[in-house]
Amino acid sequence: MTRQLLKLTLTWAFLMAVAGGEFVVSGMQMEMANRPVLLFFAGTMVFTVAMMFMHLATAPVVAKGFAVAGVFWLIVLFGFGAADMLTRNWYPVQHYNPY
Amino acid sequence: MAEPELIVEQEFQYSSLYDQGQTAIVGMWLFLAQECVFFGGLFLTWIYSRYWNQAGFDAGSHGAQLWIGSINLGILVTSSFVYACALAFIQAGRPREMTWALCGVVALGVAFVGWKLYEYHLDFVGHFWVNDPDFPIKGELEGGAKLFWAFYWTGTILHAAHMTIAMGLVTYVIRRGFRGDFTAQYHAPVEVIGLFWSFVDIVWMVLWPLIYLMGRMP
Repeated sequence: MTRQLLKLTLTWAFLMAVAGGEFVVSGMQMEMANRPVLLFFAGTMVFTVAMMFMHLATAPVVAKGFAVAGVFWLIVLFGFGAADMLTRNWYPVQHYNPY
Repeated sequence: MAEPELIVEQEFQYSSLYDQGQTAIVGMWLFLAQECVFFGGLFLTWIYSRYWNQAGFDAGSHGAQLWIGSINLGILVTSSFVYACALAFIQAGRPREMTWALCGVVALGVAFVGWKLYEYHLDFVGHFWVNDPDFPIKGELEGGAKLFWAFYWTGTILHAAHMTIAMGLVTYVIRRGFRGDFTAQYHAPVEVIGLFWSFVDIVWMVLWPLIYLMGRMP
């Protein structure tokens, strides 16, 4: 019990430290690297909460499958959604006004 | 001390109470998977719109109350931590401590909503409602800034709605906790609603950088 509470307290401290790091990094001059770094910090916090507070590692196998499926569909969603942004320099779009 | 008599009955379609609890946990994860896609659509359109209106989005986000957003992040992370402690208490057969910890979770939820309402008040005073004729950002950045604030209101109201539902569910668990429904052997509702609570926390972990931090970048 005490050990479990200590583990949870350390997780809380870690999350607070990551949030602090994210805040500091957001004010730094890092050109275009800022956004992936912010994404990394946010992803770390999400992963930590899922593992330590939501106990995903010890969840039933089917629950793990649903969690992976959620992430998979997010990747598909963001992949298709980012297709235009990622390829516009390769395939310039002509300005066309049909009206 | 003898374990209190279990007053929860097993439903007919399950082989045991443990099986019933595990099924409920799996069901909640399925629900959270569709919630991922629900909020994913919001985040995708947000990022896509920001990509084409970067300067306007940054100008708009300078009006957001970073300090309130950050306090609220701390409150939510702490509430998830307290909820995880409540679960540890009931797993160790201490229902009384679990129930009081859950009261703390609801108190933190109320604090979050209170700060959020105060933030909305400041936003209205600053004329950041998108249809406000005195919207403070004018000129070529106005369109992008209004788009940012449209996403801000949509995202935060959706999150606050989830938060309110989660507080209602935790209150239901507290009521059952005081009634003595949960033991170390049976506490599936505590675990299932904790998953939803932590998910609402996770959504704020993504909204926080989108609303408050992206626009801070030099």
